[in-house]
Amino acid sequence: MAANLTRLLEHKLQTSSAVTAQRCVRLFSTQQQQSEVNDDEEFRVLNLRTVKQQARRREIKKDAVQPPRTSRMAVDQDWTAVWSGPRSFHPASVPLPLRQGYTERGAAAPSKYANAELMKIPNFLHLTPPAIRQQCEAIKKFCTPWPKGLETEAKWKRHFPIEVLSTDYCHSLPTIRHPEARRVTITLKLSDLQFDAHAKDKFLRLVGERYNQETGVLTFVTDRCPTRKQNYDYALYLLTACYHESFVTEPWEDTKSEADMEEYHFERNQAKKSAEAILNWNSKAEQKVAASPSYATSVEQLINEGENEYNLAKYKEEVLKMLKITV
Amino acid sequence: MAYACCASKNILRIAQCTTRLMSVYPSHYVSPIVDKNIQNSKGLELSHIPIKAAPNDVNDTIFYGELKQKFLNYITKKGNAELAKELLTKTFEAIKRTQIERLNLGGADQEKVITDAETLLINAIENSRPLLTLSAIKRGGVKYQVPVPLTQRKSYFLAMKWILDAAREKERKVKLPDKLAWEILDAACGQGRVIKKKDDLHRQCETNRAYAHYRWS
Amino acid sequence: MKMFRKQLGSLSRISTQLQRNVIASGAASRTAEMSTNVAPALDAAALDEFRTAVANPGEHSTLQSAKFYTIPVEQKKQIFTGGGLPKQYEQQIKTFTETCLMVRSPALELLQYIKNADLSKPAVRYVLYGENGVGKTLTMAHVLHYGALNDFVLVHVPWAPNWMKRPKEASNASGQEGFIDLPFDAAAWLVHFKNQNAQLLQKLQLKTSKEYVWSKRESTPAGASLIELVEHGIARIKYASETTAALIAELKQLATNNQCKIMVAIDGFNAFFHPITRIFSDNKQRVSPDRITLTQPFLDITNYDWTNGVCILSVDKIAMTEGYMDSYMPRYLLGKEGFEHLDPFVPIHVKNYTEKEFMSYISYYLDRHWISKTPPGFEKQLKFMSNMNPYTLMQLVRGL
Repeated sequence: MAANLTRLLEHKLQTSSAVTAQRCVRLFSTQQQQSEVNDDEEFRVLNLRTVKQQARRREIKKDAVQPPRTSRMAVDQDWTAVWSGPRSFHPASVPLPLRQGYTERGAAAPSKYANAELMKIPNFLHLTPPAIRQQCEAIKKFCTPWPKGLETEAKWKRHFPIEVLSTDYCHSLPTIRHPEARRVTITLKLSDLQFDAHAKDKFLRLVGERYNQETGVLTFVTDRCPTRKQNYDYALYLLTACYHESFVTEPWEDTKSEADMEEYHFERNQAKKSAEAILNWNSKAEQKVAASPSYATSVEQLINEGENEYNLAKYKEEVLKMLKITV
Repeated sequence: MAYACCASKNILRIAQCTTRLMSVYPSHYVSPIVDKNIQNSKGLELSHIPIKAAPNDVNDTIFYGELKQKFLNYITKKGNAELAKELLTKTFEAIKRTQIERLNLGGADQEKVITDAETLLINAIENSRPLLTLSAIKRGGVKYQVPVPLTQRKSYFLAMKWILDAAREKERKVKLPDKLAWEILDAACGQGRVIKKKDDLHRQCETNRAYAHYRWS
Repeated sequence: MKMFRKQLGSLSRISTQLQRNVIASGAASRTAEMSTNVAPALDAAALDEFRTAVANPGEHSTLQSAKFYTIPVEQKKQIFTGGGLPKQYEQQIKTFTETCLMVRSPALELLQYIKNADLSKPAVRYVLYGENGVGKTLTMAHVLHYGALNDFVLVHVPWAPNWMKRPKEASNASGQEGFIDLPFDAAAWLVHFKNQNAQLLQKLQLKTSKEYVWSKRESTPAGASLIELVEHGIARIKYASETTAALIAELKQLATNNQCKIMVAIDGFNAFFHPITRIFSDNKQRVSPDRITLTQPFLDITNYDWTNGVCILSVDKIAMTEGYMDSYMPRYLLGKEGFEHLDPFVPIHVKNYTEKEFMSYISYYLDRHWISKTPPGFEKQLKFMSNMNPYTLMQLVRGL
């Protein structure tokens, strides 16, 4: 079996080597024919493999980089002309040695050229003081003089207690209307309105959480109408309506019981009755004595402010004084 | 009594002297000193020596007694030390009430009435400490009850256990503090069930004296 | 050899024990001797130090403050048999074989007010308040003693919450629809009233103003003495509540007519204004205190519409139940209703011991052999542990 295999292999080898030999012979013959043509000029190098000739790259012609414009700027130039409107940062236009950005420790921050950090942030180079001054000068001819008597904030707050707040939005959308732009906020101090005790209580109940207990500021925010004008009118209407409504006393308001009171009032409570009954014990109807106001305040304080040693001691002192108990 | 107090100090913590291999503290750590006066008298001696953390059941107040604390631990059931403390306090109160009543009644031995409950407790424990016990040892196929001396720790343990067992053996209506107070008062006077139990044990040891050599041979 | 040594060891142990017992007994006798030697000298000095011989509370002044005075056994029996002293204080009295009260500033203040009060004016309400265990009840006891000695008819409720929290028996009131009677408690109170005032009522000869008809056969005629009325209530427990109401109404009227003067003392008064009680009505619902027949008469007598009387009331956190015990202040404890009922009242704050009172109490305990551990600085430890609160001190000292 093994002998058979080796014989077969040998045969194969013989046949394959015979074929390659034949090919080589043929190749040699063709080359010999070519080299004979320019034999006389020079000795030709045997070029066994044809080398591809390299394609020449087209050279792109670039203009020489101009030096930045800043180098040509005059020291006393008109900056507003250079930077007339809002625009993102350009290093060659700003004659300042700015640096911005993060680096490893110790290294200097990147310079202004090709610095995305500087381009990202909004700049106010168009709003330099001379620029503003220039623009103010330009619109001055449209202005009227500041009214007399409104020089200080306290003065104008007195005449114009209501503050109206609205926001304009500038953006690029198919519509220039921003939904938030119609919102109107009016604020005023509650102390600017005049109330009696009942009206104030009712007004505060009507406005609810629009009144800030700590600052004493009343705030109306309206946004239910489609335009700002309507919202503004509505806010003023609300204020007016609430104010006038608070002076109306409905018939059912008389049924407000002691439990509905926000604060303890001496006048309305059993404390007054008891105190007066004790003070007027066995006395004639003409000589009614009322409880002293200091006692009344001490009771009110005890209940409204809550109990503590101080209030209780005060109450005790007042009671002893009222009942004429000598210590 | 003063002697008894002193004797009881540091008896129960003898084991601390030997080094424990499982201890979290290296052997050069010293135990904290509870007594403030001793601590002050040591001065700077301890300032550079590492000290173990303070045990939380020891304090330097009038409410603490070493034997009392140990007794408290034996009263405690299921870790309810609060209750145990209350029970012992009530016991002491009951002891004091009976002793003060005895004092107020007057009589010949009025001077000898001790009103300090803790002293009485210590006396009771000292009085009911056994010295020997019987342990069963098998020799030649027969079990002999051999008298064996007790260590100090063990004898204290037995004394307290007996007092407590005697107090717990009561009717349901009787409160533990009352019964315990009676047992302590009895034992402090050298009478009562616990003392009898100790004497019985001693007597048995005495009768079994002949077997004593079985401990070794 | 080894065996011998061991036996020797145990022998020596026996001998040490014997010795120890000897020494122990010796030491005991020595300490006893010492105490007897010291005791007489201590007693003589101690009487000056923390006791006062002035046993009449009417004569107490700041001179006697922080000192102990002794209530005679007879008077104690008369005033406090039916309650009025805390249970543990009673125990202490029994052990110490004397009824001692410390003269403290709130009681002195209160006595001062009562002594100077104009009795022709409506009754003044004094409200004792303070933290738990500061001595409100004992302050009241001090003033009660004054009242008993100065011919006040005592209307004393030792602990009002007992009626709301653990009544002996509750039954439907026969007279009023929807009300609950506490016949046994009412009878017990009548007994207490009789104990306290029997002598005085005998002396004053107070008469009823109108006829009370209890049932078809039973009635108390107009002009009967108050003792008869009280005894009727005790004998006929069913009518005890109604008798209480009648008695209090009569007393109020008699006082207003200037026939007697009354001292009302109610401990745990705020229990009358607690939202609920532990008593169940027929429809298995908790009853509020105003549905109990005993409440009304005591609310009546704490009102201001009568003269010749003083009301000493105490408001207490522990008179309330869980959830209503946040503060010890009177307005909180009384609630809106209670405050309106009492206003204007004189609040009197009972505080923890002062330094002087604390030291006085410690020396009293030492005198009574109640504290037997006296290493140097033990007072300081007790002061620190108890925060000078009387009840806490009492609890701490129990086991010493």
